[in-house]
Amino acid sequence: MSGPAVLQVLRSGALALPSVELLPSVGLAVPRPPVLRMPVTAVPAAVLRMDVEIPRPTVRRFRFERTEQPLAAAPAPRVAPRPPRPQASDRPARRARLVPPKDVVKPEEKFFYLLQPDLETILQADRLEFPRQPFPFQLDGMAFLVPRHGAVLADEMGLGKSMQAISSIRLLVRTGQARRVLVVCPKGLVSNWTRELADWAPELVVAVIEGDPQRRRWQWTLPDVPVKVANYEVVVRDRDLVAELGLTFDLVVLDEAQRIKNRAGQTSKAVRAIQRNRSWALTGTPVENSADDLVGLFEFVAPGHLNERLPPRALGAAVADHVLRRTKEKVLTDMPPRLNRDERIELTAEQRETYRRAEEEGVLRLADMGREATIRHVFELVLRLKQICNFDTATGESAKLDCLEAELEEVQASGRKALVFSQWVETLGRLEERLARFGALQYHGGMSTQARDETIRRFRHDPRHSVLLLSYGAGAVGLNLQFSQYVFLFDRWWNPAIEDQAINRAHRIGAAGTVTVTRFLSVDTIEERIDEVLRKKRDLSDAILSEAGTPAASGLTVDELFALFKLAPPTRAAA
Amino acid sequence: MEQSTTDGALFGFLTAVDAPGHGLFGGYLVVDARGRPVEFLCTAPLKVTRAQQILYGATLHGHLHGQQVGSTLLAECESQPLVVLTDFDPLLTVRSHTSLPVAAVKRRDEAGDVGFVVGSVRVIATAEAESVVRERLAELAAAVDLCEPFERIRLAIEEAQRMTPPARAA
Repeated sequence: MSGPAVLQVLRSGALALPSVELLPSVGLAVPRPPVLRMPVTAVPAAVLRMDVEIPRPTVRRFRFERTEQPLAAAPAPRVAPRPPRPQASDRPARRARLVPPKDVVKPEEKFFYLLQPDLETILQADRLEFPRQPFPFQLDGMAFLVPRHGAVLADEMGLGKSMQAISSIRLLVRTGQARRVLVVCPKGLVSNWTRELADWAPELVVAVIEGDPQRRRWQWTLPDVPVKVANYEVVVRDRDLVAELGLTFDLVVLDEAQRIKNRAGQTSKAVRAIQRNRSWALTGTPVENSADDLVGLFEFVAPGHLNERLPPRALGAAVADHVLRRTKEKVLTDMPPRLNRDERIELTAEQRETYRRAEEEGVLRLADMGREATIRHVFELVLRLKQICNFDTATGESAKLDCLEAELEEVQASGRKALVFSQWVETLGRLEERLARFGALQYHGGMSTQARDETIRRFRHDPRHSVLLLSYGAGAVGLNLQFSQYVFLFDRWWNPAIEDQAINRAHRIGAAGTVTVTRFLSVDTIEERIDEVLRKKRDLSDAILSEAGTPAASGLTVDELFALFKLAPPTRAAA
Repeated sequence: MEQSTTDGALFGFLTAVDAPGHGLFGGYLVVDARGRPVEFLCTAPLKVTRAQQILYGATLHGHLHGQQVGSTLLAECESQPLVVLTDFDPLLTVRSHTSLPVAAVKRRDEAGDVGFVVGSVRVIATAEAESVVRERLAELAAAVDLCEPFERIRLAIEEAQRMTPPARAA
């Protein structure tokens, strides 16, 4: 019997297990099994080399020019005490930061704005004091304006658009980004602007462009005057002169910028012709009648950015980065409330009779005219009827005035002040006679600027004057009358936005208490019908234009005016 | 390098942001005594592999933040600040790569009793540098909340992220 099988190592390095005869005596050989060869030579291990070196990152570097202007020549500002600096673990809850506009593409420019300190720090570090501590939303407004070359500040009236613009101008001048600034405003607001500039930017030298042509030529070219103020009429008149002098402004600010909504108008053309680097528009009503108003405004702010073919929502999205709109409701949660009440007035019997006759005759006349009837004819009838709602043309009776007198008794007794608005200067005159015992004063466009300023001064400071009678045209914009607690709309304007502006003379920042707004509305008259149309339109516009946060307010179209008397408009009649 | 003078004192603010999907961004802002930006540097995003994390072990942060990010930013900067502040502790390791005094800044309610108080923040410097840092920061702290510039750097880094495609590991 052979020995046990031995595992052999072959030359090849393989292992071999030889086969064995298990039954030799029988002679039957069991077939040799195949040899199982297993390689056992150690294979050299593969080396995995890892680069553990962490490379130095590449670095981008930006340097920023320092161009701050010295404040040495600035007069000492009249300063209200500032709140104390944050102490201990106080953390600023929120900071107003300059946010670069979306159309800034250069990294250098983006980083320049992103890396500026927050506005509170800038103001503190530059010792730019204010007569009153700005509200946080006003700092946000400045942070919006400063980096923008084209901007519309469309805050609701009374939120301090001019203060935000002035403070932003101040920052631009301080940092050397603006050396020549032009403010254009309605004529009646020039003195308001110079006063506000003196309050909010006392170190800035300001010149008003006014007077005869020779004087204006000299004023336009005055050197070392960083801020010039001109009214719209002057800008239109001096359009060629400004071009001839080759004037270029670092910034042009338009106040009550809705004035340029008509692109074909002389005012729009004149302001758009001014050479400028930055264009800011201030308006509480960027959309007064239609989306076209906004397109007109943008022809100044960012020419070519909009066109009238854009649908309203696309328009809203396109302007979103250029328009900042806040309402008092949103930002001034602690502002005194505004109480609105519609005083529905029953005409006196004689007034009613006069009204009925005038309407019947007027409608008959329009019907007789047929296709010849024009918008002017309808408009004249509306005005006539509205005037009768104020005063009976035959007897001089006025149910509204009777009611107003009673209300004013209470106003005077409580030592408060009231504003009364009408669209007619003639109405203001009649009211002044009847309201003499309340020390009523008039304020309208027929008065000189000096006379109007003097009126405001007397109304503000003299307790004998409880009532100020204002025309919508002159009194609805720019005035700060927040010491008045009552506003009466003796008759209604065509456009609720103008009414809002009027109301906001009193209901604005600094209002001492609740502002009560009384809108007189003669029952069953043209006033009620107009009110209904405007209310519906306003609701609709609000819904459409919510995309850009722009306000909505509309006047009456030709169709709507004819519809007041159930008449078809001329074009439809012609068709 | 621009030399700082008493009138033109400059201050450095150094921080880093680890952005998911991008990697580590370093940012270094030099401001004047009123907090206005004078110079800004930021790194391209740096992404560390898992192997590098394992192999560097405890030394990773010092190497990554102190040398690769912090030291690189300080070396590339043309301005010469009086002091460098950081709100990100790993960056304090940059001290071994610079002769400038480097101090940590924390909100008072986050820092316990260490260091010294300047305005609403607590500054933590080395014992040798503390008196110098305290003296040099006095002017800036009067105008600027010393934690605020870091917010600016982070905003700028966010913007840089938007301009940079996601990084691959180093």
